[in-house]
Amino acid sequence: MSSVLVFALAGLGLIGLGLYGLLVQRHLLRKVLAFNVISSGIFLLLAGLARRAPGAEPDPVPQAMVLTGIVVAVAATALALAMMLALRSATGRTRLEDHGDED
Amino acid sequence: MSLLPLAIDLVLALTLLWLAWRALNSPDLFRAVVLFIALGLVLGLVWVRLDAVDIALAEIALGAGVTGALLLAALAKLQPAASQTDELQTAELQTAELQTDQAAVMAPIALRLFIALLLLAFLAGLGFAVWQLWVPAPGLSNLVEARLDESGVAYPVTAVLLNFRGYDTLLELAVLLLALIGVWSLSTAPHLGDEEPEPALAALSRLLAPLMILVAAYLVWVGAYAPGGAFQAGSVLGAAGVLLRLSGWRLSLSATGWPLRLVLVLGVAVFAFIGLAVIGFDQPLLGYPPGWAKPAILAIELAATLSIGAILAALFIGGRP
Amino acid sequence: MPMLLNGADWATALVFVPLLAALACFLVPRAADWLGVLAALLILLATLGLVQDLLSDGPLRVAVGGWGAPLGIDLWADGLSAALLLMTALVGLGVSVYAPGYFAAHPQQQRWFWPLWLLLWTALNGLYLSADLFNLYVMLEVLGLSAAALTALSGSATGLNAAMRYLLVSLLGSAAYLLGVALLYHGYGTVDIALLGQRIEAGAVATTALLVMAAGLLLKTALLPFHFWLPPAHGSAPAPVSALLSALVIKASFYLLLRLWLDLFSGLGGLLAALLPELLGLLGAAAVLWGSVQALRQRRLKLLIAYSTVAQIGYLFLGFPLAGVQAEEVAWRAVLYLALAHGLAKAAMFLSAGNLLQFAGHDRIADLDRAVQRLPLTLTAFVLGGISIMGLPPSGGFVGKWLLLESAFTQGRWGFAIVVLLGGVLAAGYVFKVVGYAFTPTEIAQEGEAVPLRMQWSALLLAFGAILLGFSAPWLWPLLGVGDPFGLPIAEVGAAR
Repeated sequence: MSSVLVFALAGLGLIGLGLYGLLVQRHLLRKVLAFNVISSGIFLLLAGLARRAPGAEPDPVPQAMVLTGIVVAVAATALALAMMLALRSATGRTRLEDHGDED
Repeated sequence: MSLLPLAIDLVLALTLLWLAWRALNSPDLFRAVVLFIALGLVLGLVWVRLDAVDIALAEIALGAGVTGALLLAALAKLQPAASQTDELQTAELQTAELQTDQAAVMAPIALRLFIALLLLAFLAGLGFAVWQLWVPAPGLSNLVEARLDESGVAYPVTAVLLNFRGYDTLLELAVLLLALIGVWSLSTAPHLGDEEPEPALAALSRLLAPLMILVAAYLVWVGAYAPGGAFQAGSVLGAAGVLLRLSGWRLSLSATGWPLRLVLVLGVAVFAFIGLAVIGFDQPLLGYPPGWAKPAILAIELAATLSIGAILAALFIGGRP
Repeated sequence: MPMLLNGADWATALVFVPLLAALACFLVPRAADWLGVLAALLILLATLGLVQDLLSDGPLRVAVGGWGAPLGIDLWADGLSAALLLMTALVGLGVSVYAPGYFAAHPQQQRWFWPLWLLLWTALNGLYLSADLFNLYVMLEVLGLSAAALTALSGSATGLNAAMRYLLVSLLGSAAYLLGVALLYHGYGTVDIALLGQRIEAGAVATTALLVMAAGLLLKTALLPFHFWLPPAHGSAPAPVSALLSALVIKASFYLLLRLWLDLFSGLGGLLAALLPELLGLLGAAAVLWGSVQALRQRRLKLLIAYSTVAQIGYLFLGFPLAGVQAEEVAWRAVLYLALAHGLAKAAMFLSAGNLLQFAGHDRIADLDRAVQRLPLTLTAFVLGGISIMGLPPSGGFVGKWLLLESAFTQGRWGFAIVVLLGGVLAAGYVFKVVGYAFTPTEIAQEGEAVPLRMQWSALLLAFGAILLGFSAPWLWPLLGVGDPFGLPIAEVGAAR
């Protein structure tokens, strides 16, 4: 029970740190890292809370959901990194340009 | 309750937060990625503490392993990409990047403070909601338990993934394939792995690769009874593929066309085919006929493992074949 | 009449036809053109089959795998889902016919366009048919990843920048949504929307879930002030992709928000349930005005159309405050009409812009140089689409705005009525700005490339669709009522079958 509480709080912390990183950091690789940290925090909440019932086996449904979530996060990371590299080779930048809509 | 487990949990949780903070704020990108991989490994331990061994395996194999490898590969491509292009242009690029980087690595301090305050308010609200949830609830575990016998597997998580919520898993396989199609559609994605293989690595890979394929097969098989399954097995298979590639092994040209693409789509295709074929036997969509659940799930998992392994290896290698 | 295929079969086809076609196009790129158009025709057929089934037998619930909620995943189709599926099928067919012409000059893009677009279509149809919050999360991710990859397809620096931003925004939006799903699952032990509708109670859990899910979906729908990512993405993608993004993709996250609001959160009462609709209405009104003014200021055609989308998204959110009291039904039906009309009209306008781009090699509005004489079909399509966007009779946009005004008048919400009218005037301004330049010769006459007829006709037929929608009320009205999506929570009518 208590470990669930500790890790739920840690999950909250990861969500907060990740959001901060995503909003504040400019390098795209760091934004991708931040997105992964946010996801990990959400997964900790989603599957961690499944352990609330003392003694019983953990609820398998949120566990399966987290497994799905991890795979989706890996896929998204792969696409984001490839896009970052393509942007880099097209523009030499690894940051987003703010006023890129007027050519 | 003794205090020792609580102390271990506290240490693990604080390590998580510290690693996350350092990974996101370290000035050196390489260090940031390494810290992030460490974060994934510690998360794996946390999942073990939470009795979620499946997630622990997936976190270590996919979250830390595959994601880490992808990040390191991307970092490797970011750095030499500059040195290979025209010298003069590179110098210009680098100075431009340095100048802008110093001004704009991060948002200005006032904005950062504002964001931090907003986030703290948000976390407080979220924390309150989580606190409200603090009533033990069985969730759906009783229902899963009650119908486990009909699912064709003896392990609840696999039953949820491949049967009760198989529709999600089918789409999740599609997401992986989609990511690869997206990566390949970026015409500029550079290649990696064209360098000369290391002799020592080559020898090691020849030894390791068959072993990893065996481990993958075991993981698929054991998923019916215990933690394991297609996604964990697929990532081991993918790692074997990457090792073989790094040690100089190449698909023959004739195999990089449709035969490779066939392996890539096999998981989704077999899953979708079985899911639709059962309708012909008066079953609902994705509803296996009684007695057929076990072989159907095994066939789907084997196809999925092959595809996942191939997709992950292809994602790591990056450029189109 | 005994049917060979029932509603569940049509629903299955709507997800699996695009999925399998995506795999086939990936496997055999050479056959992708006709495979894609064939799939589009089959999807339209399946949509019509489903609509027919809903009209005769009422709303549809399918238990995937036979397990049933809460253990398994259920599909659910009612009038709201059917209307959006129909729009998706029509726009999807139009774009699929258009694409081979557009991409003939870019074979490398065409090769990846088909599997990505068909996976996007899988996600759209799957999303409109799902009754399961976690399954909807997976659909949202398929949607977001495929949309971002399609945006990057042009390979230009602007396009890649826009696609990268779009991808990050989309991932953040899905993450916020998933956080809400986690809270709801642990609060109420299910992710099925109908069951949740029965179990949900006012309190911190529901409020927090509502806030994070709404924030994530608003980000994806690009309601002001979350619109920042939209104009560069929709403006720089290849024209058929812009049409898909503007006409279809943002509607999916709007639909999900609307569905959650109607079935889960609107009945909770309390301060938040009273304030949130007003806030969304205000943001919507601001989006209508700001987006329209920005559209007027643009010098490039595709960016003008993209800012027009920012404005049109605003109208959809006027439904939230206006549906508040008794006029509920009318306001939501108005919003749905506007969403459908915008889908058809905006697709026609982006495809027209693609024709002009292909013709002249640029999309600078000031240099359109007598395009009216040289591409009459395309300009007709643009103007007809524009008429629906302005809300002139007899278009679908007119019906939507008329209903919205009626709802605003009966409740004495004059402010919203003025915004609706003003938005129409501004829209007339930016549409006629384009038309004016299309009649004007430039100093140096421009050379033009030939534009295939299939590209001109697909744009024109979609524009006709937007106009014809104005006459469709007798037929569309009963469809919208199937399953009473805007009335009682679906749980209470869910037992219909």
